[in-house]
Amino acid sequence: MISADDLKKLSDLARLENDSAEAERLTADLEKILAHFKELEGLETAKVEPLAGGAFIRGGLRPDDPGSNNLSSGEAKAAFPEKDKGFLKVPPVFE
Amino acid sequence: MVSLEDLSIKKVREGIAAKEFSAKELTESFLGEIEKKNKDLNAFLSLNKEEVLKQAVAVDEIAAAGQKLPPLAGLPLAVKDNILIENWPATAASKILENYRGAYDATIIKRLRAAGSVFLGKTNLDEFAMGSSTENSGFQTTRNPYDLERVPGGSSGGSAAAVAGGLALAALGSDTGGSIRQPAGFCGIVGLKPTYGAVSRFGLIALASSLDQIGPMTRSVADAYEIFKILAGRDSFDATIIDVEKEYSLAGILDRPERFKNLRIGLPKEYFEGLSDPAVKAGIETAIEKLKKIGCSFQEISLPHTSYALSVYYIIMPAEASANLARFDGIRYGRLDDLNGKKLNLKDIYLKQRGEGFGREVKRRILLGTFVLSHGYYDAYYLKAQKVRRLIKEDFDKVFDGKVDVILAPVTPTQAFKIGEKSADPLAMYLSDIFTIPANLASLPALSLPIKKYVIGGGELPVGFQLIGRPFHEADLLGLGNLYEIS
Repeated sequence: MISADDLKKLSDLARLENDSAEAERLTADLEKILAHFKELEGLETAKVEPLAGGAFIRGGLRPDDPGSNNLSSGEAKAAFPEKDKGFLKVPPVFE
Repeated sequence: MVSLEDLSIKKVREGIAAKEFSAKELTESFLGEIEKKNKDLNAFLSLNKEEVLKQAVAVDEIAAAGQKLPPLAGLPLAVKDNILIENWPATAASKILENYRGAYDATIIKRLRAAGSVFLGKTNLDEFAMGSSTENSGFQTTRNPYDLERVPGGSSGGSAAAVAGGLALAALGSDTGGSIRQPAGFCGIVGLKPTYGAVSRFGLIALASSLDQIGPMTRSVADAYEIFKILAGRDSFDATIIDVEKEYSLAGILDRPERFKNLRIGLPKEYFEGLSDPAVKAGIETAIEKLKKIGCSFQEISLPHTSYALSVYYIIMPAEASANLARFDGIRYGRLDDLNGKKLNLKDIYLKQRGEGFGREVKRRILLGTFVLSHGYYDAYYLKAQKVRRLIKEDFDKVFDGKVDVILAPVTPTQAFKIGEKSADPLAMYLSDIFTIPANLASLPALSLPIKKYVIGGGELPVGFQLIGRPFHEADLLGLGNLYEIS
């Protein structure tokens, strides 16, 4: 059901680099897991509304106010591997 | 110094207030236990001795000034390493976060600090909480204190081993499909997965956002109650949170335990049909008999869609995880050292960082999630799973609508299994969550507790059971659990 090309495409979409041995093993694992999901096919659900999130969300919006508890950018930036003039530095996207 | 074996949160608070011992002495005693035992158990990933002793001294200063101690004064707590403490390592047991430190305190950490708790260290888990044995950690394998050749369960295995082994008085875990309750069951301790929306997840490294909940792992139900009271409540940083106290009062449940014997308990036949392990079966029967003697009434109920829960969970959870873990890109949360200096474009950085930084189970789930969300498969897998999720929730709605107040069920299909026994077969590992997953899918609270008091070295592996309750009725579970424990 999942070919080597399918796994390559999925891995590229998910931005995961795998060597060929790992790709082979992951393909076999996914096959087995997806086969288990077949049991859902026989269940009639045409009239059932999907349940998207946690069941009891009632919309707890707060006032649109930045508040005092927000991260200062300095703390969030501490983990950046490369910085330049206070900005996160990454390689060029378009070359 | 007081005996660490007989401690409870209440005894710690009262002992410090009465100057029988100081918070600093108590913390040092637990650090001594960690020093002695952690090399065998591998429960902790990181410690912060200096910081925890400072926290303890601050508690002692309150006592010295004769002021009223906060509710969790001096409580030596272990924290699962997917929960952020400002400037402490927060790896989620993943190589990709090896160098990351929490940029802020999780909301619950702030609350626990204010309540006087001290943080011993961060505990091991399956990488990004993906697993049922803690063998998927990127750093170390935690061992079960009852048998070092066996797993402590997972994903909160480090927290469970720390509490069961006496390395911490209590711990925090997170439960997406059973990650608090299953290790609690394997290690003979108490674990509470609160109702979805009871406890803030701000500062929890997300696995599956419609399922994740943080909860306490403790030696007793009374201690779980004390911690849960502090964890629960509104938070402007998590829009899902509903005030539990306003839904159903938590007050006084330990003072009048007798009133909980009137709760009607349901036994779901689908859970018992799937149960074949003789030790677990015998354990559950013991628990039911004990509750009958206390005066509780039982009836058989049916939750007909139970058998589909595993498939539904292993579609929805990876789908959400694949989105949540997209943020770990080697850019924003630190970078693996060995890529430094190489000239790579942005996409190559992503591919290499994620390829090298994530372990096999994480990759498996990200790929599975990417697959079930992809064009052409979305309806057949993800949408289908969301629909069956509703059917599973409606099964619970029906039995809680007048028939029963609480459901009693096994929490694990077996006792703790051997290290390596299931690690080669992902599906066999997934099946160890079969009894815990439905409560997450239906957003319900569930409490795992040991059948009886177990002793390490007593020759027995623990067996647990779980109580599942109505939404926001944690009080029913904790009240009935406490009655069970003290009877």
